[in-house]
Amino acid sequence: MLKLIQTEFWKLRRKSLFWLMLLTALLMPFFAVIYFRSFGKTDLDPLLFYKWSAFGYTVFMILPFILGIVCTILMHEENQAHVLKQLWIIPIPKTACFFSKFFIVLMYSFCFMLITAAASVLFGIASGCAPFQWESILFLLKKCLEIAVLSACSILPILAAAVSQKGYVLPVCIILLYIFFGFFILPVNLYVHPIASLSAILAREGKIPGLTLTQTISVPWALLCIGIWGTASVFFATISLKRKG
Amino acid sequence: MHDFVIETKHLTKIYGEQTVLEKVSLHVERGKIYGLLGRNGAGKTTLMKLLLGLASPTAGEIKIFQKPIKGHQKQLYPHIGAIIEAPGFYPNLTGTENLEIFARLRGLKDPLAVQEALHIVGLPYRDKKLFAKYSLGMKQRLGIANALLHNPKLLILDEPTNGLDPVGIAELRDFLKDLSVKQGKTILISSHILSEISLLADDIGILHRGVLLEEGSLKELEEKNQKQTTGGNTLEDYFRKITGGKGIA
Repeated sequence: MLKLIQTEFWKLRRKSLFWLMLLTALLMPFFAVIYFRSFGKTDLDPLLFYKWSAFGYTVFMILPFILGIVCTILMHEENQAHVLKQLWIIPIPKTACFFSKFFIVLMYSFCFMLITAAASVLFGIASGCAPFQWESILFLLKKCLEIAVLSACSILPILAAAVSQKGYVLPVCIILLYIFFGFFILPVNLYVHPIASLSAILAREGKIPGLTLTQTISVPWALLCIGIWGTASVFFATISLKRKG
Repeated sequence: MHDFVIETKHLTKIYGEQTVLEKVSLHVERGKIYGLLGRNGAGKTTLMKLLLGLASPTAGEIKIFQKPIKGHQKQLYPHIGAIIEAPGFYPNLTGTENLEIFARLRGLKDPLAVQEALHIVGLPYRDKKLFAKYSLGMKQRLGIANALLHNPKLLILDEPTNGLDPVGIAELRDFLKDLSVKQGKTILISSHILSEISLLADDIGILHRGVLLEEGSLKELEEKNQKQTTGGNTLEDYFRKITGGKGIA
C-alpha cells in the first residue's frame, strides 16, 4: 500500500494545474475581507470572520468541487492512458488502488484546508477584520483539519463515479449535482447527504456564530451517513474496476 | 510428454450475443515462440486478455504454468510480462520515470533493472522526453521494456510490432529469438502480419472469427498445405484457403 501511495505522488509530476488548484483555498478568505471591509467592519469576533473565510462556502461548495475535480483528474489519466491493465497484471489489488487514490484526495484536502486556515488568519490580521487570538486560531486549525478529513470521506462517491467512467464529462456533471443536492438538502435533512452531515458535525459545539441548523445535531447519525455513502462507494468502485478488467 | 506453459481447453468467450472465441484449445510449449495469427477482429486480443485473467471466460479452462490463472494471479503474474492492446503509460512522465513506477510497484530490488530494460529496447535512460511526445514505435519499445523489466519466464505480446519501422521490426525479431533460444523464455506473440509470424514463430496458431482453425509448427502447416493444395503452397496460400479470405499482409 505504501508503494502504491508513493507512486501516486510520482504520477503527479509536471501536473501544475493539479497544484495550482490549491490557490482556490485563498478565495473565501479574500472574499471575507472584501465583505467585511465593504461594510466597514473591523475588530470582529475572529470566529465570525473565520465562519466566512473557512466554515461557509468553502465547506459546502469550493472544497467538494475542487476535491471532485482532483478525483476526476486522478482517474481520468489511468483510464485514458490504458494503464490499469498494466497495473492489474503486476498485480495491484483493485481496492488498494482505489484507497491509494483516496489517500491523495485526503492529503490534498489537508493541504487545501491548511492554506485556508493560514490565509484566514493572515488576511484577518492584515485587514484588521479579525484580531490575533490564540484560542480562535487553534479552534480554526482544529476545525480545518476536521473539515479536511470529513470532506475527503464525503467525496468518496465522486471518486467512485470517476473510477466507473472513462471520460471526465459525466463525473464533472455528477460533482455539480452532488454538491447542489448536498447544499439544498441541508435545511431539510442533515443525515441524507454526506456534505449535510459534515455540516452537522462541524456545528456540533455551537461555537461558530451564525451557523445554525434546523435539526437536532446527532454526530453518530452524521458519521453513519458518511460511513454508509463511503462504504457503498468503495464497493461500487471495486466492482467497476473489476469490470474494467 | 509436452511441457505446456500455456494450455487452454475449449475456451469460449461470449459478449452479449456475440461469440468472440469459440472452443479455443491452445498449446504453447516451454521455450518456444508461438505466433497467433489472425485478421483484425479475429479474437487475438480477447484471447490474450483471457490468458492474463483480465477478462473471465464464458466457458473452458486456462492453465498457465500448469495452474489455472483464476485464483493464482499473485503467484503467476511475476513470471509473466505482457503488452495488451496499446502500451499504457503516464503521458506526463518520461520513459524512465514510467518504468521506475512499474519497477517500484513490482518490488524490483535491482537498481539497474530500468536502465537495462531501456538499453535492451534501444531507448535512452534518463532522457527528458515525455511519453506523450514519443512516437508510436518508441511507445511500443517502452511497452516491451516494461514487459521485460522483471525478467519474466513468459512473454505475452499483443501485436508488438505495431508502429515499428522495418529496422525496428527486424531488431525486435532478433531480440525475441535471442530471448527464446538463449534464455529459454516462452513467447506468445500475436500479429496480423503473416510474414512476421512465419519468420519468428516456432509454432503457429491460426485464429479466424474466434475459432482456432489450425495449430502446429510452420513446417507442419506448410506440409499440410502441400498435401491439400492445387494452387500455391506457401503459408499465405494456406491461410487464405482455410480462412476463405483474401489473405493478409
